[in-house]
Amino acid sequence: MAGSGKAHLRKSDDVILRVEDLTMEFPAGGKNFVRAVSGISFDIERGETLAIVGESGCGKSTLGKAILQLPKPTSGSVNFQGQELTTLNKDALRDIRPAMQMIFQDPVSSLDPRLSVGKIVDEPLAIWNRGDEVWRSNKVDELLNAVGLDPALVRDRRSYEFSGGQCQRISIARSLALEPLLLICDEPVSALDVSVQAQILNLLQDMKERYGLTLIFISHDLAVVKAVSTRIMVMYLGKVCEISSPDELYSNPRHHYTHALVSSVPIPDPNVAARRTTLEGEPPSPMDPPSGCRFRTRCPAATDLCAQEEPQLHEVSTGHYVACHWPRS
Amino acid sequence: MKSGLWKKMRRFSIPTLLSIAWLAIIGLIAIVYPILSSTDPKFVYENDLGVGPFTNGHLFGTDTNGYDILRELLHGTRLTLLVAVVAVGVGGAIGSLIGILSGYVRGKIDAVVNIIFSAVLSIPNLVLALALVAVLATAPDVNSTVSNWRKVFVVVLALTIVIIPILGRIARGATLSWSNREFVTAAKSMGAKNSTILWKHIVPNVLPAVMAIAFLAVGVVIVAEGSLSLLGVGIPDGNSWGAILAAGRNDMEYTPHVVYFPIIFIALTVISCNQIGDVIRQSLDRREARI
Amino acid sequence: MSNNPMLSLRDFSVSFDTARGPLYAVRNVNIDVADGESLGIVGESGSGKTVLSRGAMGLLPKRAAHRSGTVIYDDHDLSQAPRKELREYWGTGMAMIFQDPMTALNPVRKIGSQLTEGLRVRLQMNKRDAKARGLELLHRVRIPDPEAVMEKYPFQLSGGMRQRVMIAIALACKPRLLFADEPTTALDVTVQAQVMQLLSELRHEMGMSMVIVTHDLGVVAGHTDRIAVMYAGEVVEIAPTKRLFANMQMPYTEALMKSIPRLDAPSGQRLPVISGRLPDPTQPETGCSFASRCPYVTDKCRASTPPLVEVAPGHSYRCWFPIGGSR
Repeated sequence: MAGSGKAHLRKSDDVILRVEDLTMEFPAGGKNFVRAVSGISFDIERGETLAIVGESGCGKSTLGKAILQLPKPTSGSVNFQGQELTTLNKDALRDIRPAMQMIFQDPVSSLDPRLSVGKIVDEPLAIWNRGDEVWRSNKVDELLNAVGLDPALVRDRRSYEFSGGQCQRISIARSLALEPLLLICDEPVSALDVSVQAQILNLLQDMKERYGLTLIFISHDLAVVKAVSTRIMVMYLGKVCEISSPDELYSNPRHHYTHALVSSVPIPDPNVAARRTTLEGEPPSPMDPPSGCRFRTRCPAATDLCAQEEPQLHEVSTGHYVACHWPRS
Repeated sequence: MKSGLWKKMRRFSIPTLLSIAWLAIIGLIAIVYPILSSTDPKFVYENDLGVGPFTNGHLFGTDTNGYDILRELLHGTRLTLLVAVVAVGVGGAIGSLIGILSGYVRGKIDAVVNIIFSAVLSIPNLVLALALVAVLATAPDVNSTVSNWRKVFVVVLALTIVIIPILGRIARGATLSWSNREFVTAAKSMGAKNSTILWKHIVPNVLPAVMAIAFLAVGVVIVAEGSLSLLGVGIPDGNSWGAILAAGRNDMEYTPHVVYFPIIFIALTVISCNQIGDVIRQSLDRREARI
Repeated sequence: MSNNPMLSLRDFSVSFDTARGPLYAVRNVNIDVADGESLGIVGESGSGKTVLSRGAMGLLPKRAAHRSGTVIYDDHDLSQAPRKELREYWGTGMAMIFQDPMTALNPVRKIGSQLTEGLRVRLQMNKRDAKARGLELLHRVRIPDPEAVMEKYPFQLSGGMRQRVMIAIALACKPRLLFADEPTTALDVTVQAQVMQLLSELRHEMGMSMVIVTHDLGVVAGHTDRIAVMYAGEVVEIAPTKRLFANMQMPYTEALMKSIPRLDAPSGQRLPVISGRLPDPTQPETGCSFASRCPYVTDKCRASTPPLVEVAPGHSYRCWFPIGGSR
């Protein structure tokens, strides 16, 4: 399956982010390089929550950071609100930063252990010199309250005194300080207990409504993503497999990889659990990906064509795109 | 309040408390003694040449020149500590600066700095110091002499150069580790400038690790200074513990106490520094284990 | 297969000394694990489930952790056993696989050497036999190309592979009881399914008993015979798996079930959450420990602690007003 193909890109005025042919390469010893992201294109409209789903190593985290130009992608274009980010100079890029923010997977390492929570949330305001001290202090209180923390109890303490879920709330508060347009969430709940996951997911939904955000939600867990997203993009080894709305994707996964992912989600029902199919083997090394369709080595429907020709994304039903020569029916 | 201080003190173990006490005592001596006392450490007690400890009011005895050992040691504390603190302080500051910048920026600069550090570290400390002193503080011909202050300056310079890569390496390693944390990426994504990130995030987190080793380094420098004295190129004229030790070496057979007491002072100081450095490191480990 | 339980905990408690006073991590737990049975222990972080499993095996630091109550493994009373005696049972009797394979494996030793260490020390095999057995074990946990993997270091393997290696190490000396402490939490969803399937198969092949500790009910749904739900250091409900899902009694179990995001739920909706936080383990309160967060709480719940009551064979719970029963 391929990331190439732009059949799924939309032309509406509501598109705030448009990524085309994004590629990210890293040197890997000697003359080798690893293509973590290979020619991916997608767009996102204002108010959407796009989920990017895939196993570890598929490049989704790298993709998230590449959008923010941290670091700049090896090639491709990232167009945010009409501005091409990859060609901006350092200062112009810096000026745009407040509009795109990110929250990370490890709640504890996302916060500087030396700073108090109040200082952590105030940092973005301090960097951009927003308002005066009084205004900033009120803003910090407002943000902490918004994420469900009591400022009086929390402001002067350090991050290591809090649980994972609370640290993640602090991260969210910090990322909202500059009132961004786009919030990229890189596996924000993967490190949390199931019951805390639900709280944070609800919080993200609330923040989205309250602050009018557009979200990119990166995760390996399909069930988590279903609860929050309006559109899902499935990645495998640096390429896009399938894009669709959540209900459609779960009830009718057309790509074989998506189908395997959906089947792997543990269902808390002992009667159902016994019948699940599992995906065999391991993802191949990104340094030496299979020719043609990268999923063919683990695909039950692979043929010679799959080894020779990389499939392009094409529409199989309204808004539902698949990159596969032999999609499931 | 006194009770508050006592409570804080109780957190520390006995060895730590003793170490703090010893360092406090010699610190006080270093600052105060040369000002307070009016007596000259080089005062010659003509009737008491080379007497042992506890004789005639000489607590530590005298050496064959008639100098009171206790007085010499107390007087020499200032220079000994000065040399150590300056070497570690200045060397640490320079080394940390280079190490932090190098570890943050990475790439070719880091590769070059790493090679330089490794090269300097591969030269045994003493040999390096010896070479520097030989070049900078030796008279060009047999007749002229080099001023004492110049000798002191060169000793400090040599030891500083030795310390730079030691602490620089520590700083670099810590920087490599801390700059990988996600809060640094978060700061960049907020639009923080590199200088802000370094100053506000990296340095405060790296400094404690460097400080822990810096304490150990103080001990190393004091011993190194003593070794330089024994080799004949240290602080001249018995003005530091190492120098006293070196001066008394020749007469060890008749007046061994001249050597024992400086050794005891040096040993106690080094042990205390090690203990404090260890305590700092342990509290850091505990804090980082929580993270 | 004998009739005596493989592992039996009676009135088992663990407390830690902390700066703020004693911390009651596990309180009066009574659990049996039968020979060949698979038991799931489910609870949030801080419920005491990890302390329970490590305490049962005797892995907690002796100075910091105070155990009380009885631990009987295969008719041997290990409650007060010194470390030397416990060591006899580790590996060949009880074994554990841990949550994070990266930190559980030694990063500077090759896989082969870590795998054969147990064999050579506990079973006194020579180098050649140990290596052969090591290859056999890697093959058994479905690792492709075992010869190559033996020579690799942990960082060269993926998370799923490392977890399989850890399973292989744990099974090397053929333990009769395996503890799996959050075995899938650090893994991707697809790998989770593979690892759980592997564990189930191995259990049946080797006739082992297994205790799976996790916070995810979904993970244990299809792989356990019985499930015990823990909250604030106590067992609040225990039942055969099918019965627990069909007929749960304790409101906490119900709340746990509901907060799991499900594929078959409509998308874009808010997830039901359990409000509030875990009680402070240094301040044991009167009354039901879940009272502060229970949607059905009454005054009786706050006043007195409900005992563990058996409603059907094998199904006990701790609640004054169970969901299925009278209110």
